Amino acid sequence: MAPFGRRNVLLALLTAAIVLPAFANVYHLFIANLILVYVLLAIGLNILVGYAGQLAFANAAMFGIGAYATGLLQVRLGWSFWLAFPSGALLATVVGLAISLPALRLSGLYLALSTLAFAQATQWVFLHWEGVTFGAGGFKTPPLSFAPLPIDKPLGLYYLSLVLMLGLFLFAQNLVASRVGRAFVAVRDGEVAAQSLGVDLLRYKALAFGISGFYAGTAGGLYSAMLNFVAPEGFDLFQMVLQKAMIVVGGLGSITGSVLGAGLIMLLLEALRAFKGLQEIVFGALLVGFVLFMRGGLISVLKRHVRGWEEPLRLPQPSAPMPAPRPIEAPAAGAER
Amino acid sequence: MLLFSYLLMSGVTTGALYGLVALGFVVVNKATGVINFAQGEFFMFTGFIAWMLHVQLGINYLVTFAFAVAFGFALGCLTDRIAFRPIAKSDVVSLVLATVGIAFILKGLARTIWGGKADYLAFPPITSPDPIMVGSIMVIPQQLAVLAGTAVILLLFVAFFRFTRAGKMMQATADNARAARLVGIRTDRIYTLAFGIGAAIAAAAAVLTAPLTLLYPDIGFAFFLKGFAAAVLGGLSSLPGAVLGGMIVGIAESMAGGYIHSSVMELSPFIVIMAVLVLRPSGLLGPAKTRRV
Amino acid sequence: MSAAVLNVIDLEMAFGGLKVLDGINLEVKAGEIRGLIGPNGAGKTTLLNIICGIHRPQKGDVRLNGGSIVGRKPSSIARLGLGRTFQTSQLFRGMTVLENMMAGLHRRSRTGLFTAGFDRPRRRSEEKEMEAAARSALAFVGMADLAERPATALSFGQQRVVEIARTLISEPTLVLLDEPAVGLSANRLAELDALLRKIRDQKGVTLILIEHVIHLVMGVCDQVTVLSSGRTIADGPPAAVRNDRAVIEAYLGKELSARYQAS
Repeated sequence: MAPFGRRNVLLALLTAAIVLPAFANVYHLFIANLILVYVLLAIGLNILVGYAGQLAFANAAMFGIGAYATGLLQVRLGWSFWLAFPSGALLATVVGLAISLPALRLSGLYLALSTLAFAQATQWVFLHWEGVTFGAGGFKTPPLSFAPLPIDKPLGLYYLSLVLMLGLFLFAQNLVASRVGRAFVAVRDGEVAAQSLGVDLLRYKALAFGISGFYAGTAGGLYSAMLNFVAPEGFDLFQMVLQKAMIVVGGLGSITGSVLGAGLIMLLLEALRAFKGLQEIVFGALLVGFVLFMRGGLISVLKRHVRGWEEPLRLPQPSAPMPAPRPIEAPAAGAER
Repeated sequence: MLLFSYLLMSGVTTGALYGLVALGFVVVNKATGVINFAQGEFFMFTGFIAWMLHVQLGINYLVTFAFAVAFGFALGCLTDRIAFRPIAKSDVVSLVLATVGIAFILKGLARTIWGGKADYLAFPPITSPDPIMVGSIMVIPQQLAVLAGTAVILLLFVAFFRFTRAGKMMQATADNARAARLVGIRTDRIYTLAFGIGAAIAAAAAVLTAPLTLLYPDIGFAFFLKGFAAAVLGGLSSLPGAVLGGMIVGIAESMAGGYIHSSVMELSPFIVIMAVLVLRPSGLLGPAKTRRV
Repeated sequence: MSAAVLNVIDLEMAFGGLKVLDGINLEVKAGEIRGLIGPNGAGKTTLLNIICGIHRPQKGDVRLNGGSIVGRKPSSIARLGLGRTFQTSQLFRGMTVLENMMAGLHRRSRTGLFTAGFDRPRRRSEEKEMEAAARSALAFVGMADLAERPATALSFGQQRVVEIARTLISEPTLVLLDEPAVGLSANRLAELDALLRKIRDQKGVTLILIEHVIHLVMGVCDQVTVLSSGRTIADGPPAAVRNDRAVIEAYLGKELSARYQAS
């Protein structure tokens, strides 16, 4: 068993995450919880963009839908968090599925742009449908209690996030090492050939969108509980770029990569907290830099240099397509004689 | 009637600006096949540069205009060299994310250099801000300047493609890059030129817009979406389509904003994009596409 | 008399104003290897595209094992037992050769989202089975030692062969091969010839083969259909077709063929 291989590193991280509350103050716990939330976002996005190859920009919007739904169901309808939370995740999933329908007809650039426009429209709804969403100022959500368990909210929420992240991580890990994962990559790498093998494009694109919606919606519900507050700012374009940076830095087409990317980017974000302009420059530069020089993300470096980091499926390396010389026809017919 | 004419003028003016931004998209897309996600930020950044020159340093408007356009051109060329040329053969995901990265770098730079989100920079009007009456239509002179400027830029454009060698080479590259290479056209230079021109147009639009609106770092994205909506509406490979699309988006938005509610204006790009992609993906003036396997 | 696996009836197809297929009739029997030849632009690939569901014909019908498949989605036609290779390499570049082969087994499994995500034992046992089947299919075409390589690391000829193997692994009833010999060297051609015969003899799958390498077609096919300008101009055993006057005219043109026949 490779000493610094993926499994050991992840186990070490998990152990650290479990015992963290004993050593961390409230603020650090908050950051750690935030990292868990972003890991969920990154994994869901990676399944959609990295594996299924759907260049969609709607993840931050679905994050927002999850948060808003969870919050509003509590505030407007008096539901308990424990009912509102899964409902919020479900709503985000449904929205994800709905987006996948036009996605079938669009690809590449057009998909990117229409999902971007959709995200902007969602922001618009958050901002302007004040009767429902409370508008630009946002709203507070009711305090969350973990009764009858004797733990306070930050701790309880942290462990809830940890358990959910673990479960959804394993789910994703299993998924990509299965027929479903291969179907996603087939859709990404060759739609026509994928169809010829019986892969139903609509079904798998919808699945990818739905999964990313579910992960984003779950993250959104947790996020709303963490802050006890929901407002439009958390779900804007910068957010979206942040999430993209996470999966590019970590490694497109790698679930573990999403974990690494999310963790690193969040820590970086914290370090640069005071300077929003600097944040934008750094994350923009990270995106450009990684796309140019390390397309496979950090995970590709790990795979190459450290034993034990292999994973099924990968990002194809850009290479010139093999030229297929065309044979000359007419003389061939005559040459048979 | 006064309201209507006011809205119409306003819509036509912003429409002209959207048309210019869209033109920038179309030029780059025709030549290279990609959408430059930093186009809005080109607009914003050169607008700030113009502000710095004209307002802070007191340089004459026309000189500022010229300089801003030149700066925009240089910015476009630089973007091509950094974010396009090295990965030109890559997949769509990489190309899009690279230009998105550039967009954010520019936005962050603007915020760092010129102030935070709350700082809205005012550009003084070039002409008298008092409206004049042209017939029964109320017009602000700056709007006329915008329209005149747009018309000039369009004419220059047409002349470029019709009469200059570079313009013809660009058309050839857009038509069939491989064939263009075979006849000796340096396609990578053409790509740089396309990016440069696209950014220069955005710069011109920004300097024309600046007296009419406030500048802030996040304005880039709004213009990006609207410009793209206009380009898609016109048909991504059609230059006159871009202008036409811009006009339609501008007027529709203005009317909706005036007669329905001002907040609806921000929703216009989404509606236009979805409508076009669902109903007529090739746009109003674009070619019909068939897919060959 | 063996049953017809494929029936094409009065097929007509036009793109815009251009008529590409003008009344095609075809019947392919089980276990047959049918060659489909004709000059460029004759409509051969269009015919394949219609059969596998990429295009929808204006008129006519296509029946697979008796059931009409016109209007169905390509993936659903594939699930009925139709396989296809393409003129350009369509191996999935993000996968190894082995994973590509396992992807070929897609239609043979029904493991969905929840089984894959939650039912670890069942998923693992299915993966093991698929891997074994994939390796054995690779061995059949002589590519077993390439299993772990990324698909992009294969030479062009190797890619073609793996693609054929990937198409066959799910045991389809009918396989359409679109110019499998394109770009192959003489060595590889001989290997392809042998492979096609082996497939016919051992797998019993029905094949339709579009090709321009005429000797390959004549050597391995039971029957040959010749298309020209959207119409069938000949249909019969290889020996008959190669001497058919209309066929020679279609390839060489009227003048040359007159000289050719005179000599």
